[in-house]
Amino acid sequence: MPSVFITGMGIVSALGNGTAIQREKLAAGVSGLGPAAFLNSIHKTEFPFGEVPFSTEELFSRLAEYSKLQQSRLQALGALALEECFTGLEQKPAGIRQGLINATTVGGMTDIEDRYFELIKPEQMEPDMSWAAGLDCATGTEHLARQFDLTDFVTTISTACSSSANAIQFGARLLQQGVLDRVVCGGVDSLTRFTVNGFNSLKNLDRNACKPFDANRNGLNLGEGAAYLLLESERTLEKTGNKPLAILSGYANFNEAFHPTAPSPEGLGAYEAMKRTLEKAGISPASVSYINAHGTATLNNDEAESMAIHRLFGKTVPPFASTKVYTGHTLAASGAIEAVFSLLSLQHQEIYPALNFETPIEATGLIPCQTYRQMQVEHILSNSFGFGGNNASLLFSKYD
Amino acid sequence: MDLAEIMQVYFSASMIKPIFIRTARAVCAQDSFSSNDLLQPVRTLSGNRFTYLEPNYQDYFTIMQLRRMSRITRLGLVTAIECLRDAGDTQPEAIITGTGKGSLTDTEKFIHSVREFAEGTLNPSPFIQSTYNSLNGLIGLHHQINSYNSTYVHSGFSLEHALLDAAFQLNEQSIQTALVGSFEEMTPEHYIIKEKLDFWKKEIDGPDAIMKSSPGAISGEGSFFFFLDYQQGAAPLQLVDLTLLFEPGEGAVLHAMDSMLEQHGLGWDQLDVYLSGRNQDSRYEHYYEKVEQRLSATTHQLHFKHLSGEFDTAAGFGLWSAVRMAEKNQLFPSMIRKQGSTQSMDYMLLYNQYYGKQHSIYLLKKT
Repeated sequence: MPSVFITGMGIVSALGNGTAIQREKLAAGVSGLGPAAFLNSIHKTEFPFGEVPFSTEELFSRLAEYSKLQQSRLQALGALALEECFTGLEQKPAGIRQGLINATTVGGMTDIEDRYFELIKPEQMEPDMSWAAGLDCATGTEHLARQFDLTDFVTTISTACSSSANAIQFGARLLQQGVLDRVVCGGVDSLTRFTVNGFNSLKNLDRNACKPFDANRNGLNLGEGAAYLLLESERTLEKTGNKPLAILSGYANFNEAFHPTAPSPEGLGAYEAMKRTLEKAGISPASVSYINAHGTATLNNDEAESMAIHRLFGKTVPPFASTKVYTGHTLAASGAIEAVFSLLSLQHQEIYPALNFETPIEATGLIPCQTYRQMQVEHILSNSFGFGGNNASLLFSKYD
Repeated sequence: MDLAEIMQVYFSASMIKPIFIRTARAVCAQDSFSSNDLLQPVRTLSGNRFTYLEPNYQDYFTIMQLRRMSRITRLGLVTAIECLRDAGDTQPEAIITGTGKGSLTDTEKFIHSVREFAEGTLNPSPFIQSTYNSLNGLIGLHHQINSYNSTYVHSGFSLEHALLDAAFQLNEQSIQTALVGSFEEMTPEHYIIKEKLDFWKKEIDGPDAIMKSSPGAISGEGSFFFFLDYQQGAAPLQLVDLTLLFEPGEGAVLHAMDSMLEQHGLGWDQLDVYLSGRNQDSRYEHYYEKVEQRLSATTHQLHFKHLSGEFDTAAGFGLWSAVRMAEKNQLFPSMIRKQGSTQSMDYMLLYNQYYGKQHSIYLLKKT
């Protein structure tokens, strides 16, 4: 398979806007979790959230250009990450076919839910109703694609919590099949009352900051944000002259038919996704420097993921941790957000500390890396697992 | 046509290598499900909303199972089950779906219950089933299929991107078979939202209204599943090529068709069947008119949206028709708008666009 190079990245999360602040806080072990300020929900202070610390107006004020966007938190978050993705790079080089593969779980629900009940009254009309299209997942993606000149191919993927990991895989295929010369892949989700109550109804939310891979973990914290990677083929690099940040050297998606929302206890899906990713890259488990775990801190996920890691890596499990305790679970954005974290580790040859860990899970005894560490980082395996048994893994490798 | 347009078309040409469609299933406003064709007289529909003619679910599920499944979940699952049964293979190596709106019933139910119970204790079922990929998971669960699995939610491209994802993997031979499908429903509430966005025709009078040109379309529903294979086997139809255009300029669609045909060594007069997504929405008819002007007198011209209505993944109805007509070696009478002179049905062209934004062109070949 032709190589896929990553030449740009951009991110906004509870840690702040841009890659620099993410790295600073990850290295210092500072979490972005806290009470929500902008989420419109009675639960906003009851649970910790990974809310991006700016109002929607503030998000827009940080953008250089937003004439083609709608008044939408989802689109503002996406645009901030896309803008950074093109920092120092030409946005639309002549003769280059470029597209956007976006991911989201509920599209513009945040922007619509407060006005939904007016929206469904037939008599209530405004001169401009175009905001009403926000419930369609395609709407935000298309506005972002137009704003950033990414219209040669535009799509949106929604496979719950693995959405943007799948977006990165599909983008890689579009390059490898020669449909596009370069492609921006990633995802965006904004906190919504809809999703907060959804996870609360599943009794999946921890009232305290989550404890990934801890025996006494008690659920996840929800977050929001956006992240995108710019992928280019080798031929495109010759034209753009861009210097790769890293290589996407492997990827796989494997669905386990076990339960609508829970993984199998032995983590079959997680195991297969990781194993197939390494096989595609042609590297052995022993070559993996670090695992960026899905690690949502739900009872089911962390147990299943631990079992799968244990089975694949045997007695020599590489350092691993989950960054959900920094950003909250950003759902469709999480795969791309954690891809950016993985690229930071590769770039700076460092790994970041797990927070809130005390007691290992009994069945596996796995202990995440709890200190900031400078070390040789060659290959990072990043996991994203979702509802419906959807498991996706990505392998990022150092570019020399 | 300016240079940018030509470039766009050139770039999108020939996205895939050919793959085969072994079986196809459809549930829509017509009785497309029981006989898996539309050779019989069709239902006469009126009004501004065409809704599903639903299958008998009790043939498939227990009462207890049915109680846990919402409308589109049942529909999609039954369509997928029959498609796999026809294929004689319940272990496809990928399950890929496309849906513009997913389970609207569940999304709405959950929005309402969040308000009604003031964010208190809520039933999680509608939340789970509102997740766009929940049907994929259920298909996998039903037949214990461990495989690649993804869901595209991009409006009028949802089905096409699912097909493209499968075609890439069949082409690179990382898989040999795939189940690809789409599912879509319309609810009274969402109909109002889309009415405010000028999706629908304003006045509907009499059964011929669907044939009259005016701003807006008739709302429809449909669920379609296809079993794809990298080998021909007994497959009745080949998907030769697929071209997608996002918000193309006036001449770009014809140009894309020209280059697609040229790429495959075909002339317009070699097209035996043209399947058109034309829906009498006067705002976007010019795209279809241009294509019709180019067609040769040999080509049979077929329409399908007067039978199904309009929705994000309505091209699936056209594709299902192509598969089944190829299998039966017979055109569906209710779809013929203009009889062509040809006796054969080797090459078919399917063109669909969704409110002028997402355009898809399928080149199909009877095996």
